[in-house]
Amino acid sequence: MCDVQGKLIAWLDRELPTAEASEVERHIEQCRECQRWVATYGHVSETFDAYCNAVMVAKEPRRVSRWVPVLASSLVAALIILLVLLRGRVEPVPVLAPTVATASAPVPAPSLAAVPGPRKPTMRRHHMAQASRGEERFTQGQPMDTAIQIAIPAEAMFPPGAMPAGVNFIADLRIAPDGSVQQVRLRQ
Amino acid sequence: MSDDSVPLALPLPRLSAGSAGVTKLYRELRRPLLRYLICLGLTCDEAQDVVQDAFVSLQRHLSSGGGQENIRGWLFRVVHNQARNRQTSYDRRFGEELDGGMDFLADSATPEQVLLRKEKLRRVAAAIQLLTECERECLLLRAGGLRYREIGEVLGIATSTVGDTVERAMRKLAEKCNV
Repeated sequence: MCDVQGKLIAWLDRELPTAEASEVERHIEQCRECQRWVATYGHVSETFDAYCNAVMVAKEPRRVSRWVPVLASSLVAALIILLVLLRGRVEPVPVLAPTVATASAPVPAPSLAAVPGPRKPTMRRHHMAQASRGEERFTQGQPMDTAIQIAIPAEAMFPPGAMPAGVNFIADLRIAPDGSVQQVRLRQ
Repeated sequence: MSDDSVPLALPLPRLSAGSAGVTKLYRELRRPLLRYLICLGLTCDEAQDVVQDAFVSLQRHLSSGGGQENIRGWLFRVVHNQARNRQTSYDRRFGEELDGGMDFLADSATPEQVLLRKEKLRRVAAAIQLLTECERECLLLRAGGLRYREIGEVLGIATSTVGDTVERAMRKLAEKCNV
């Protein structure tokens, strides 16, 4: 057994003074046995270190992978979107039923007796081409002329007593695709 | 052994309470301190409490103008003493079979490699059981990156004694582990 063997670990840990460390280093370069011990001590140090790390990992609480919250959030978001879509299909948003009357069809006059107080003008809107083209309206790419009928109670236009009660006027408007009024016709 | 002043592995700037240097020190030393305490036998929660308390003590130490020589050794000494106060029998747990079946070794390794590693760790655990308390603590502090002088300050023993103890412990492990 070499005398230097007792200094090998201190040499590995760089704890020896410079001169002594150089001396030990020179010896190690020539001594096979000391080389083997240096390798062994290095291995033992690594193993001990690995054991310490293993103890720490084993006693640490299990960490949740950082992808778990992301995946969970994505899943919840996907579920919410799916529910919204399904709900939209089952319960469609209520839409006013379009009129099937043509532009020239007379609008039944509302009874004044049934509606107390001054009434506001009512408006109906439909496409000119709807009635004539039927289901083909869905195949048309271009916007069509729109006819609007406005029922206007006479009392909304004239002072009280100027017109007999229950008289209504119908205003037929034809709206171009660009929004301009093409035709206005007032009838009773 | 060399008793002259050895540079720390971590070049520590002049610290002041609440400075970025303390934050950097916390980031660098938190894990080694936790590992030391857990290997001493403290639970993970206990170890985290002790480390937190140690850095609070460091803030007080710096605020009161305390010395800044060997802050790393100072921190290890503080956590060592706090661990002793919390749990007098902590040393008996180090070297036991690991909890959790060492499943963490299965990451990116073949079954044969996992088996070999497990076997090696079992042998180390058995060898550690044969070490004295002082030998275990010396090796743990050495594994934490402390110099012999710092280990001596933490444990309250001479630097030369640390060298002898480390050498004796390493020899025992080498013989028992068959590495």
